[in-house]
Amino acid sequence: MIIEVTVGELATLMKKAAGVTVDPMELAKSSDSPFGTLGLDSLGLLGIVGELENQYSRPLPVDAERCRTPREFLDLVNTTLKTGA
Amino acid sequence: MSTERPRGAAITGIGVIAPNGLSAEAYWKSVREGLGVIDRITREGCGHLPLRVAGEVRTFDAAALIEERFLVQTDRFSHFAMAAAALALEDAGLGKGDTAEPYSIGVVTAAGSGGGEFGQRELQKLWGQGSRFVGPYQSIAWFYAASTGQISIRSGFKGPCGVVASDEAGGLDSIALAARVVRRGTDAVVVGAAEAPLAPYSMVCQLGYPELSTVEDPERAYRPFTSDACGFVPAEGGAILVVEDEEHARERGTPVRATVAGHGATFTGASRWDKSREGLAQAIRVALDEAGCAPEEIDVVFADAFGVPEADRAEALAIADALGAHGTRVPVTAPKTGIGRSYCAAPVLDTAAAVLAMEHGQVPPTPNVFDICHDLDLVTSKARPAELHTALVLSRGLMGSNAALVVRRGGDSAR
Repeated sequence: MIIEVTVGELATLMKKAAGVTVDPMELAKSSDSPFGTLGLDSLGLLGIVGELENQYSRPLPVDAERCRTPREFLDLVNTTLKTGA
Repeated sequence: MSTERPRGAAITGIGVIAPNGLSAEAYWKSVREGLGVIDRITREGCGHLPLRVAGEVRTFDAAALIEERFLVQTDRFSHFAMAAAALALEDAGLGKGDTAEPYSIGVVTAAGSGGGEFGQRELQKLWGQGSRFVGPYQSIAWFYAASTGQISIRSGFKGPCGVVASDEAGGLDSIALAARVVRRGTDAVVVGAAEAPLAPYSMVCQLGYPELSTVEDPERAYRPFTSDACGFVPAEGGAILVVEDEEHARERGTPVRATVAGHGATFTGASRWDKSREGLAQAIRVALDEAGCAPEEIDVVFADAFGVPEADRAEALAIADALGAHGTRVPVTAPKTGIGRSYCAAPVLDTAAAVLAMEHGQVPPTPNVFDICHDLDLVTSKARPAELHTALVLSRGLMGSNAALVVRRGGDSAR
């Protein structure tokens, strides 16, 4: 089974964890923009890390909550999930 | 002081989110009519608790007034504060606050308990699912300082900010702090308090107060200054004011609705109501002194009106001690008997009512209160027309703080 968190799922988590509404298409286009400019603060990213850890029942590296952009974050998360699968 | 003349602190905006009105205008209309809105508590999960009635803000639609990220990241008490702040800024002609000079506006709030509803939800996750399920916004949302931060973030204010944690009387202390910040050079301060103490967890915290009224009849539960006084009824909601440099307000053509003239604060110990006589009288004297105001100049007193016989007696005597013979002649009112006590927000609502009373030339009545058993001219039943130039607002807290604030009608400032 290939586990991959998509940009669309990240958009859903941004809304759920931090109340930040962002269109998945837009998020895909802005995947190199800092989270801050997308309206997501560090607590919001921390909340998303927690949601993913609970969802996949496994810890993510501490660097996950320090990622600056959606691309950086998704790369780290998906690499971690794949290697551990 | 860098300027030659002391800067005056003007009230130029009022925003209210209260059980009896979701704007300053609606609130004043209810207060003037003496409307009583204390009612059965309808919040989910509260039905089994021995506290039956309170002042609920029932028609508040947070989703219509607050952006989604604030709904998710903050508690109901901050939602009230942000909504009231927006109304106050609009009233002051400052728009949404997106000022070209963000450092010229500060924020000060007072809070008694913080975000109980948010906190309860996250604590339920902690004990129900485990620590990994507690969201990170818990760290800021239930903190009593949250509203100051969120108001400043929402409007982009970067001026001096503060949070006053000094019991219910902190509502008045916050206004005094805002006036001080303005006198030291900041153009305007968004100031006030909002509370949301009607979630199950918050209510359980209050059940330990012997001063809490557990009478079930909404019209009999909170009747200070009468022989039927049986404690106080809590309420949610609050008020936010814009306190601004008087000169700055005049320069931009905004009406000065009132000025913050004097303030005094003392501490006499938790639930030591007999001692609050001395403490409250001293707070009044300090406030009058700072305002350069003779006791006879006070045209109306907005009483603390705790609703506990010893506390009511202490307040009536404190008014007499500080105002002398004038204390038995001056009209006294306590509009909060119609809505309950919203902790730190209660004296801010009273300050709003005082400004509105001076503007309308009417002393609002004290709902549900008749047959006064103290030597006070308490205004009951209906509003009393009166030429009002100066108002005295009093507040005490369960933990022993006492405060007095003198406000003067706009255009009347004597100094």
